[in-house]
Amino acid sequence: MRILYQRPPGCLRRMLAAALLVACPRLPAADLEISVLDSTGHGVAGIVLIAEPQFELPASKHPAARTVIMDQRQKQFVPNILIIQTGTGIEFPNSDQIEHQVYSFSPAKPFQLSLYAGHKYPPIVFDKAGLVVVGCNIHDQMIGYIYVTDSPYFGRSDASGSWSQHDVPAGSYRITAWHPRLQEPAGASVQIPLTVTDGSPASAAFKLAKPLRPSSEHGGDQRWVDY
Amino acid sequence: MGRLLSGRGQAPLLACALLLAALAALLQPLRAAADGIEAGADVLAVSSNGTTSFLNNGLGAVRFDSDHQGLQLDNVRLGYRGTAAEIVHFTVEAVSYGDRDANPIDLTEAFAEIRPFPHGPWRSRLKIGAFYAPISLENRLPGWRSAYSLSPSAINTWVGEELRTFGAEYDLDWLGRQRGHDWELSLGGSVYGWNESAGELMSERGWAIHDRQSTLFAKFGTAEPGAIADERLLTDAGANRAGYYVDGAAKYLDALELRALHYDNRANPGAYSEEANNYPWQTQFNSAGVRWTPSTHWTLISQWLHGSTCSDAEDEEYYCWSFESEFLLLSWQLGPTRLSGRYERFDMHQSVPSGAPDGYRDQGHAWTFACERAFNRYLSVALEFIQADTSLNERLEFGLPQGATERELELALRLHL
Repeated sequence: MRILYQRPPGCLRRMLAAALLVACPRLPAADLEISVLDSTGHGVAGIVLIAEPQFELPASKHPAARTVIMDQRQKQFVPNILIIQTGTGIEFPNSDQIEHQVYSFSPAKPFQLSLYAGHKYPPIVFDKAGLVVVGCNIHDQMIGYIYVTDSPYFGRSDASGSWSQHDVPAGSYRITAWHPRLQEPAGASVQIPLTVTDGSPASAAFKLAKPLRPSSEHGGDQRWVDY
Repeated sequence: MGRLLSGRGQAPLLACALLLAALAALLQPLRAAADGIEAGADVLAVSSNGTTSFLNNGLGAVRFDSDHQGLQLDNVRLGYRGTAAEIVHFTVEAVSYGDRDANPIDLTEAFAEIRPFPHGPWRSRLKIGAFYAPISLENRLPGWRSAYSLSPSAINTWVGEELRTFGAEYDLDWLGRQRGHDWELSLGGSVYGWNESAGELMSERGWAIHDRQSTLFAKFGTAEPGAIADERLLTDAGANRAGYYVDGAAKYLDALELRALHYDNRANPGAYSEEANNYPWQTQFNSAGVRWTPSTHWTLISQWLHGSTCSDAEDEEYYCWSFESEFLLLSWQLGPTRLSGRYERFDMHQSVPSGAPDGYRDQGHAWTFACERAFNRYLSVALEFIQADTSLNERLEFGLPQGATERELELALRLHL
């Protein structure tokens, strides 16, 4: 994922930070670490993890709007899973030599991009939380997932199955783990509550009852056409 | 393979290679802008002990016989997929074969598909033109080529030989994955005509295994020794009733795909056509198939087809042939290398009006092993071995043994542009 946003100049940043330190008292906060383990205790990588505060966050904790990219390469969305905060824009460039026709009819953001190649369209802003499934009307095997959340605290589990977030305001959270190939009894999304207290690292673990469903994209053959 | 390099056909090969190079140069600027101009060629080195195939008035089960070994041009093809008015997509597939095809360049498919943007989980699609019915789970590459071997199974070989939809097909898709479900479903139906010759080749020869698709406008051979080839895909023999098929498909993620189809061309087998000098062939069948891809490396495919074809009324009784085949294919892919193995059985037998001589019967089974390695996006090399053991009593009429074990080894240089 390439992140595009403009940072203020360094001197200005330092001045702003100093002003905030003087003007605002420090919020109670702690580090957060979430792990996802399979039934044998091994870490599961790539799981979408979101910490949703169950309280009103101060405005200073809402980052500036930004733009990310979901590319199309070899008849696949790359990355095929994105997690973004509401208000984020996504560009859908087409790096293939063939045209694609990207669409979604998910309630959180229905849209259509008429047949195109290259960088043709401006970013689409996702302004409502929810799961947005995108597809290509020409190549039905292309499926991409955009998880839109109001929370600024999200990520994906790394190779060891962990995701950590520094300096999370103290309070109650709902931790969500989601993946399109998750096959838990509750479905593709599981949740646990977690309380973060000031100064003491908070952690939680999801233990998956079943392995992820296998990914099988036509046995790796991207030459297929719709017969 | 001792005779691999001693075969004939080098002049057409050279001409086709030059044609392909010219096409490549011509099309390269278009590729970046247009959707799907695709060209390719397969050049073969063949070793075979097969008996004469239907392409040369024979009853063989494989494409190349012992007189057609060495260097052979399998095909040169050019496909175009274009779009108009955003939702109308055109497909044209042109091909040239290195055999005695009457038309040096001909079409295998030409159709338009209307595919509107889905506004919910339901989507309609409408195809109009000449195209393949959704039967094969092997033939998924542009040009309706098998993704797993050079030669598709006997079922899909027959589809390529005698079936083409000249008409319209409507499909209603339920795009469940867009709604967070694991399944996608599709129901469809077609109305078509001008395919009343379907079944004639099956009745003459039974089943075969090869990748020689019949083209839309050429006569494509007969299995009857000494006869003049006069069968065409596109024919208006007889009363030309509209035929139909209905089909359904289900897909679970990308891992499992199920297909079923019922086909009936509703031809009137007693309506002799003087113009075509033939009776229509009333052909109906059911087919079903499953593809299971449990991982990115492994694919398992099985298809089954059972049907009958009737023609040539005699005292209001028809000659009918029943046919059935099934296969199991296992394929393994790792990066640019794919290995596939397939086993299939087939049977065709004729039921005749009372008092007529015994009918024809073709029974057999075949093994196919194939390996393909892609070196880059433009070049791959494939090796395929077929052994077909068949028993066809019609061979006795032409002084041939009823049983035959035909073996064909093909080494293919495959160019993709």
